[in-house]
Amino acid sequence: MNVTLAKAGLRDWSRHPWQAGLAVLGVAVGVAVVVAVDLANGSALRAFDLASEAIVGRATHQVVGDSTGLPDDLYRQLRVEHGIRPSAPVVEGLVALAERPDLRLRLLGLDPFAEREFRSYVGGGRAGGLDEEFDLASFLTVPGAVLLSERTADELGLDTGDGLSLLVAGRPTAGFLAGRLRPTTGVQSEALAELVIADLATAQEILGLGGRLSRIDLILAPGSAGHEAAGRIADLLPPGTRLQPAAARSAVAASMTRAFRLNLTALSMLALLCGGFLIYNTVAFGVVRRRRLLGTLRCLGAGRRRLLALVLGESLLIGLTGSLLGTVAGQALGRRLLVLVTQTINDLYFAVTVRSVDLTPGTYAKGVLLGLAISAVAALAPAIEAMSVAPRNALARSELESRLHRALPWVSVGGLLLSGAGALLLWPDWGLVAGFIGMFAVLLGAASLTPAAAVAGGRLLAVPAGRLFGQLGRIATRGLETALSRTAVAVAALSMAVAVTVGVDLMIRSFRDTVTRWLELSLPADLYLSVYSTPGRRFTAPETFPTAVVERLRHLDGVARLNSLRHLELATESGPLRALAIDLDARGFGAVDLLRGRPEEVWPAFQAGEAILASEPLANRRDLTVGSEMLLPTPSGDLRLPVAGIYADYASDQGAVMLGRALYDRAWGDGAVTAISLHAAGGAALDELTVTVRQTITAVPGARVRSSRGLRQESLEVFDRTFLITGVLRLLAVVVALVGVLSALMALQLDRERELGVLRALGLTPAQLWAVVSSQTAVLGLIAGLLAAPLGWLMALIMVRVINLRSFGWTIELRTEPGPFLAALALAVGAALVAGVYPAWKMSCTSPAAALREE
Amino acid sequence: MAAAPMARRATILALTAIAACGPPPTQPPTQPPALSITALLGGGDSGSFARAVAPRAFSFPEDHGPHSAFSTEWWYFTGNLAAPGASPVDADADAEQVFGYQLTFFRSALASDPPPRQSAWGASQAYMAHFALSAPGDPAAGFFSYERFARGAGGLAGAATGPFRVWLEDWSVSGGEGIPPLRLRAAAEEVAIDLTLAPGKPPVLQGDRGLSQKGRGPGNASYYYSLTRLPSTGRVVVRGETFEVSGLSWMDREWSTSSLDEGVVGWDWFSLQLDDGRDLMAYQLRRADGSADPLSAGSLVASDGGVVPLLAADYRIEPLATWRSPKTGRTYPSRWRLVLPAERLELEIEPLLADQELSHSFVYWEGAVRFQGAAANGPVSGRGYVELTGY
Repeated sequence: MNVTLAKAGLRDWSRHPWQAGLAVLGVAVGVAVVVAVDLANGSALRAFDLASEAIVGRATHQVVGDSTGLPDDLYRQLRVEHGIRPSAPVVEGLVALAERPDLRLRLLGLDPFAEREFRSYVGGGRAGGLDEEFDLASFLTVPGAVLLSERTADELGLDTGDGLSLLVAGRPTAGFLAGRLRPTTGVQSEALAELVIADLATAQEILGLGGRLSRIDLILAPGSAGHEAAGRIADLLPPGTRLQPAAARSAVAASMTRAFRLNLTALSMLALLCGGFLIYNTVAFGVVRRRRLLGTLRCLGAGRRRLLALVLGESLLIGLTGSLLGTVAGQALGRRLLVLVTQTINDLYFAVTVRSVDLTPGTYAKGVLLGLAISAVAALAPAIEAMSVAPRNALARSELESRLHRALPWVSVGGLLLSGAGALLLWPDWGLVAGFIGMFAVLLGAASLTPAAAVAGGRLLAVPAGRLFGQLGRIATRGLETALSRTAVAVAALSMAVAVTVGVDLMIRSFRDTVTRWLELSLPADLYLSVYSTPGRRFTAPETFPTAVVERLRHLDGVARLNSLRHLELATESGPLRALAIDLDARGFGAVDLLRGRPEEVWPAFQAGEAILASEPLANRRDLTVGSEMLLPTPSGDLRLPVAGIYADYASDQGAVMLGRALYDRAWGDGAVTAISLHAAGGAALDELTVTVRQTITAVPGARVRSSRGLRQESLEVFDRTFLITGVLRLLAVVVALVGVLSALMALQLDRERELGVLRALGLTPAQLWAVVSSQTAVLGLIAGLLAAPLGWLMALIMVRVINLRSFGWTIELRTEPGPFLAALALAVGAALVAGVYPAWKMSCTSPAAALREE
Repeated sequence: MAAAPMARRATILALTAIAACGPPPTQPPTQPPALSITALLGGGDSGSFARAVAPRAFSFPEDHGPHSAFSTEWWYFTGNLAAPGASPVDADADAEQVFGYQLTFFRSALASDPPPRQSAWGASQAYMAHFALSAPGDPAAGFFSYERFARGAGGLAGAATGPFRVWLEDWSVSGGEGIPPLRLRAAAEEVAIDLTLAPGKPPVLQGDRGLSQKGRGPGNASYYYSLTRLPSTGRVVVRGETFEVSGLSWMDREWSTSSLDEGVVGWDWFSLQLDDGRDLMAYQLRRADGSADPLSAGSLVASDGGVVPLLAADYRIEPLATWRSPKTGRTYPSRWRLVLPAERLELEIEPLLADQELSHSFVYWEGAVRFQGAAANGPVSGRGYVELTGY
């Protein structure tokens, strides 16, 4: 670029620093959100991978069972009788330390004698290992002996030999720190930080897992030999257990959370898109403002290409600055988001402890490139416009406005076409990514209608405004149309951001409503007893209710009816599958919200154990309909059963099957019960009954009793926590849009300095002038808000019908409430008014002479 | 087999090595792990183990089983086997394939007074086993050695009487109500043995009626008996090839809670089965300067089972050659002259293979040997086993 041109460009920006500053800010926030979400998603997943690496070690395969694990004698059989080695038994569970109940750790029970080939930090290896005070003999023989990573031990202020208290499902076990683990080559301290290592026996005792293993790790040779060995081992395994590749663990984690992560990414892109609008706005306005300068430069002989480079270069500079600032801010924001992401993953999917944001260069590069790309795209139209005007015309403002007016129908038609194309993309089930692209296309297309709507709105309002406020009103409204080049994009950005708010808000409200109603339907009993800690956090404790306790509860005074539930997780070919065995009687059928299947056919087959029910997400995930068959691995062999019906279930997006208690008892025969619902007899005092029930279950570790209201509340708390991050992202998109509106409106009004000076000179008082400016911005806000309402509703519809269904498999009933619309309108007008305050104030206190003298 | 403390030390070293900063399996240890072996050996904990302070009455078959009150114990089987006619083209004098084998089970108590455990996997004993096969000459040349560890719980490893059984996973020694006969079974990647050991001579109580002093302090001793001549038959598998074999085995049993004297760095141990029906055991506790510790001892068992105990002054062992291990760089003696002046016995002993070094969690040389020489009433020859530690 020519130095003189560059100087001319820079001079202009330095005269309008706020303009450039706001554009930089917009890009920065947009990029920050993208980077933050990427960091949070990536860190959570990488933490899981890292932990998996440390946990899995060099194992290539694992023998797994259902959620109750494996009988521990299976290890002896495989190793001693069949000579399968390397092999290592593993007991795994979640624990917390009484000193830091918030810090969830993974207790890994291992056999040090079998570890050499598997995990370098336990089984040897030159680089790492244990501190010198470690004593293997006491690690093996003293109950409660555990190892922590140096890092975690330091955090807790624990030295080797110090006592500690381990919490499992709230039940404390006394232990002591037998040694501090140092990271070894290949195992990073982050991965170790999450672990508590104990001897197999100790872990069984702490977790109450006597006689059970979580899995057996194996190392099989690569290639056909390993394949052969895998086949031989699979033949040795008892029913209900499976041999699977060790990598399945991470793959399952990634696929479980894929939809969730993609949703966050899409929301973050929305924020960046708003940032893109802002850049467009700034650059376009910069071109508009300097048409005279650009025209002069053209007259002086500057080539078109040079001008194109000038405008693009400016925009890229803004983009780069904003992107760099954005990555820095994104890192800080990422830390906050990570907490929310981790919380949600823990609530919904699996336990993961993330200590640090994983700063990968890739994320930064992605952020900067996205920022630059969107800057370039946003600047392209104005840059071409700047270069294409004939030098003489460029000097005339009116030429631009009339060109824009001529283009308006085309922009609108283009927008309509884009929306249509987006809608078409949404129609067939082409997956989640297509869903998001479709939604973005619909949104962008609809946003393109905004300029036309602004013109129409301005004209429409001109008559009543003229009646009400006379000439001033007409000036304010007609001014909108004449300033289209500067207002259109601002209004579009604002309405899009507000639409996102409305859409997300409506979606969450509808979702919450649906879940609330579902909870009410499916929790008809008075008291609920369970042996695991929190809804959503599954299978942290392996305990079950002893049959004697169940029977005692059944015969308590005041108990009219007792239903038992058995939660378990089955090891199926396609990963873990949740299963609920439930002893329903006819009165309980109503608690199951059957979506498909005729009740009179479903229930007899279900009760007889001849068929099962599939939850809606499972049916969507695996394309199940009434009559489809499913293969259930059970201890007495694989069962192939038809699906009798599909039921609504918002507890897990991974899906679940429901089976009758009779079937469970037949196939599993362990009489296990993990949850109980109690109906109080008529007239029984619930408070007293709760006390009696609590006394009856004191001996059962980890057992809790909750009222149906309490359980509903807890479930909704989890729900709300899950959407906390959605709310935060939505807010950030609005912030970007606000910055955009602020920037556009300030530009607009400041650009009109001369015009307003004329008005002042014509006798308008500062107060009148302020009224003109404010009402103008308010009208802009109003138009944006009004446009946002249908757009937001459309977005909610797409999110409910397409995005959520494809992401999680849930059907949600879209509820349209006035609240979000009114809030959006208020937001739009308020934002516009705020944006108008400074220019209005500035203009009203400038002397007309000074304003007119500017030229 | 001698020197309980050293072996115990080695076992503990090995156990701690696998759990902490031990080397990868394929490489020899470079330095002993700096763990609290001292706490186990000399600390308060070992104080409550039983100690071998006085001769005791041995009772069989009970004493073949474990003695858990003592911290360390082992069942040590070695033997020389031959497969007649297996190698007709062998230029060697005996036109047959010969084998040496070692199958050893070590028990090491993890605590003298272990707290009660809920879990069936709670272990108070750790087991280590070594399995080695020496196959000199064609067609199955080589020395193979393997090591395994397991806790004495969960059915993985253990020792029991009635019926007698010592096992670590699928390596096992088992007997009927009266033992021997014993069945030895072990299989590893390339080799396997399945042997039946028939009764030979009665148990030999080593040292002072079975009390074998290893250090100068009271209790620094082990209870030590041997079955010196067990006619053995069975099968040896080397790299997929099966040999029907017969020969003689030797069992050493020792248990203790003791430590070696300061300055003793290792031992050379010999078990020799003479073709005149006699068996000779002799060991030298070796000091840092190479000299023999006066507590070195042995025994000569007559063909009718009569035992003559040997004191350090009764025999002489002179190394005649050395062999340097290319794997670990250690240098071991590799031919010896053993002289028993009172019996006018002079033997020249040579290993079947130079390289019979086991370099697993700890490094030692243990191998099959053959010997020739002269006794009072004519020439003698035979086979045996030698163990060299602390090199």
